[in-house]
Amino acid sequence: MPALRDAGLEVRAGEVHGLVGENGAGKSTLINVATGLLRADAGQIVLAGSPIRLSTPRQAAGLGIAVVHQEADLFAQLSIAENMLLARGLVRGPGGLVNWPGTYREAAELVAAMGEAFDVRGVAGGLSVARRMMAEIAAAVSEQARVLFLDEPTSALTLKEIGNLFDQIRRLRDAGVGIVYVSHRLEEVLDISDRVTVMRDGETIETHPTAELTVNHIVASMVGRELAQLFAKREIPLGEIRLRVENATGKTGAFRDISLDVRAGEVLGLYGFVGAGRSEFGQALFGIQRLASGSISIDGKPIKVRSPRRAMRAGLAYLPEDRLVQSVFRNHAVRTNVSVASLRDLSRLGWIRSGAERRLVTHVIRAMNVRAESPEQPMGTLSGGNQQKVVFGRWQCTAPKILVLDEPTRGVDVASKSDIHRLICDLAEEGTAIVLISSELPEIIAMSDRVVTFSEGRQTGSFDPRTDGEEAIAAAAVPYSFFVKRKSKQKETRLARLLEFREIGLLAFILLLSAAMTALRPSEFANAKNFFDILASAALPAIMAQGAMLIICAGGIDISVGSMMGLICAIAAMAAKSGYPPLLCLALAVALGVMFSMLNGGTALIARIHPIIVTLAGISIYRGIMRIVTGGREVMLLPSEYRVLADGNLLGIPKLCYYVVAVTLVAHILLRYTLPGRRVLALGNSETAARLIGLSKTRLTLFVFAVSGALVGLTAVLQAGYYGKVQANTGMGMELRAIAAAVIGGTNILGGRGSALGTLLGAFLVALLYNMLILLEASSYWQNIFVGGLILLAVVLDALLERIRRAKA
Amino acid sequence: MIIRRILLSRESILLYVLLAMCVGFSIFVEGFLDWWSISERTRYWIIPGMIAVPMTFIIATAGIDLSVASIVAMCGIVLGLLYRDAQWPIWCAACAAVFAGLLAGAFNGGVSSYLKIPPLVVTLATMALFRGVAMGLSKARSISDFPDGFQWLSQGDVFEIHVGDSVSAFVPVPLFALIAVVAVGWLLMRRSWIGRFTKCIGENEIAAEFAAIDVRRLKFALYAACGLVCGIASLFNTALYATAKADTAAGMELEVIACVVIGGTRISGGEASVIGSLLGLLIIGILRYGLEMAGVKSQHVIIFVGALLIITAVFNEWMAGRRGVEG
Repeated sequence: MPALRDAGLEVRAGEVHGLVGENGAGKSTLINVATGLLRADAGQIVLAGSPIRLSTPRQAAGLGIAVVHQEADLFAQLSIAENMLLARGLVRGPGGLVNWPGTYREAAELVAAMGEAFDVRGVAGGLSVARRMMAEIAAAVSEQARVLFLDEPTSALTLKEIGNLFDQIRRLRDAGVGIVYVSHRLEEVLDISDRVTVMRDGETIETHPTAELTVNHIVASMVGRELAQLFAKREIPLGEIRLRVENATGKTGAFRDISLDVRAGEVLGLYGFVGAGRSEFGQALFGIQRLASGSISIDGKPIKVRSPRRAMRAGLAYLPEDRLVQSVFRNHAVRTNVSVASLRDLSRLGWIRSGAERRLVTHVIRAMNVRAESPEQPMGTLSGGNQQKVVFGRWQCTAPKILVLDEPTRGVDVASKSDIHRLICDLAEEGTAIVLISSELPEIIAMSDRVVTFSEGRQTGSFDPRTDGEEAIAAAAVPYSFFVKRKSKQKETRLARLLEFREIGLLAFILLLSAAMTALRPSEFANAKNFFDILASAALPAIMAQGAMLIICAGGIDISVGSMMGLICAIAAMAAKSGYPPLLCLALAVALGVMFSMLNGGTALIARIHPIIVTLAGISIYRGIMRIVTGGREVMLLPSEYRVLADGNLLGIPKLCYYVVAVTLVAHILLRYTLPGRRVLALGNSETAARLIGLSKTRLTLFVFAVSGALVGLTAVLQAGYYGKVQANTGMGMELRAIAAAVIGGTNILGGRGSALGTLLGAFLVALLYNMLILLEASSYWQNIFVGGLILLAVVLDALLERIRRAKA
Repeated sequence: MIIRRILLSRESILLYVLLAMCVGFSIFVEGFLDWWSISERTRYWIIPGMIAVPMTFIIATAGIDLSVASIVAMCGIVLGLLYRDAQWPIWCAACAAVFAGLLAGAFNGGVSSYLKIPPLVVTLATMALFRGVAMGLSKARSISDFPDGFQWLSQGDVFEIHVGDSVSAFVPVPLFALIAVVAVGWLLMRRSWIGRFTKCIGENEIAAEFAAIDVRRLKFALYAACGLVCGIASLFNTALYATAKADTAAGMELEVIACVVIGGTRISGGEASVIGSLLGLLIIGILRYGLEMAGVKSQHVIIFVGALLIITAVFNEWMAGRRGVEG
């Protein structure tokens, strides 16, 4: 069934054009086609009189067609200013470096032009939905948008924020922008729009000036259709109350104060639009979402549904709304898809009784009328309708007392649809209590004994489909702004500040440890030589750690850098011994590092496998090649011209320190002030959002691997120079120290956030701890425990912090 | 049709490769076809081979465990210290060592599954952590003097097979243990709901939750089981070398993962084959044996293993792409 059929929309400059329709009417698809996300099979797009072809959203934005989605992917750990301006272009200063004060100023100006005032330096993830949306609109407008699509902009806004938004929309309209306002809130649509277009079943039904329209007229257009031969539910005597829900409120706030009951043999329809909270309610019944308050009882006995398994045991079953994401195992056999919920009951002592399973599957396939050649064929080869029937059968054979169906016929062909309707009726006749969640009014009316309407998370009415008309039901589901009693959103947290805390905290911790050590071992610890020893021990891992940090920021990882370093160390040292000038050896080392590292990253990219596998193999490959190259012997007696690069002091400070400071500075500038660095962070935050603004994952990934490789090469030269020799185990374990330094320093292991200074402090902390171990005469064999333990501690703390932050939001 | 499917299945192809390798080596390498030599080799194979079985399950859920070698080392040290210093009877110490492995695996599973931290990161950290514990407890000194009865575990034989008049082959004890673990793993994967649910989780974790599978508990259990098997493997490892050392089994995680990947299990999860992992083990084992017989030094052989891992992983994904299978 096509999502769009001959749909057409005409937007004039300087008008607000409302677009309305039920769920599945095709509004989202139309927007996606108009903004370059989807390619239409037929039809054309005409902008200011000339036909255009849209290939990507980025290109559409460049032409002046912008869209602000309800649930946008954003770069959560980057500032709101950066989210706004990264696509268009951050403000640059001398040398092409990012001018942050200028960028923040420009973003603030855009925000002020919208009549808002909030701190654009705040991290996007900590901003309220309303502010985020304002920022996005401001960004879209700044790119000289000629047409702006707003998709359900008000669903998370307070009345005051809606008022603000409308002021801005009117301002834009007066400035000549054409705005398409898509919403379920018909009163709002009538309030703000100049014209309204109604969509239904993928077609645009009619377009009228707002002055000529009423809510009732729109509702009638949205739902009016010939009630085709739909299976009607037979009237049967209803049994006792199977399910009783009292004052149920969801933990996420998606639904509030729902009370209803369903009898055996009854079909209770839940009708509403997107965001009404019906799916969340259904999932709460099944234990996937949590209840904040309220009670559920089955057959009179109250139950606490804590997990889907408990729910199933209690006699509940839930058919999810999104078939492909939530129900289907595409590559597994149909048989597996049928039996998965019943598998444990089909098993004895863990062993699946295959005869019983086969019988069950055969029965289900026959009873559900599934068109499949064999139960062994992959589920993905079935049509959508047949897949849905399989999933239906999966739950039906658990013999539930109460079956919750969430959009059971969405995306399903007509024949399968009537099959499913027949199945629902059969189940009801057998005494099952059924909750039917649907956005299709004819279906709800034909199949339900009673209809409860949901709107914005609340129950708004109870209807008898046989007597109450469809327009009354639809009208009760229409959301009205005054329903929304939303608290004004939380304070914005500046995650950037949290990161600063991290660096300050690290520094404080280092000073604390140093103070403790000075007290415990005053003569051995608190002197220059020991301090420089610590610096030297920290130096090489610190340099490599900057490279590790960059790779992790991009969302990858490389655990072969230690072995890579050893190999390059050996090659460069041997070249030096053969008489090549030291600077040439350095150049060679860096070149090798870049080459090997890009090989790592490139292989992972091309083969589409996670870099962990490639780099895991890399460890042994590089170390093996190193052994071949050195013949298993140490490389010693390096020429002094070579060693002078790394060994010794300059102005009283170990030379290594200068390298460390230089590399840290470069890494900091790269990450914070250059476009490639910002893009790497964007990629690490959200691959999809990055792609939407036109960033190339391939190029950015190869870039970070190349930089890391160069640093590995540099480290290799310094290692040989400083220690004077290369052994078989040179570099072993360095990758862990590098990753540990980065993670301790505040780099998010999942990508998107990093700090050069923090990484440096992290490397220093590890070296300090090693030094403490030695001075306190603790066994130095505990070193490894520290590295591993620190990584775990840092990652666990970060995860907990993230959870706290998300709970507050 | 079915015969054709079996003959062209992943496992069969691996078998052909294995046979081809054996044939190739026996032609070009002198002294390859020495049954006694090969059966002695199998004593070494069981350690990665055993661990490859639970690793197959873990990778099938799109997870990974990099700490397996470190757990083996740690359990070996626990065994040695309890036996030598705490004067425990050997088999009690052995049980304690296995239990230590279980705890280590449970730690991995608990942190990754219940705290929702990627298993890659957790096991990367515990790889260092457990190895560090082994080093710290043993102070980097090795522990020897294990009783003969214990050493029988790896060095003994169960049957004697007479092939011809003078040649006789032994079936080493470890081989039985390996076959036993593989058999259990295969049964679990193919015939029990554990295997079925594991593959479902790997393919679509969200759908698995909606299908009333207790995803977190199953993942936790898989990591704990892996730790347990590592503990058992450490007994064989210690018995084989008659020594417990903290730096034993260095780099073994690569071999184990290579077995699994060669065997056809995809890193992205959803497909798994225990028999494939066994064949992968045999391929790696024969490859190493053949190369070493041909004079390649063992430190260089590891390069081949690494390269083989990458090539096979790439091949797996390419095949999956061709079949139109989802990632």
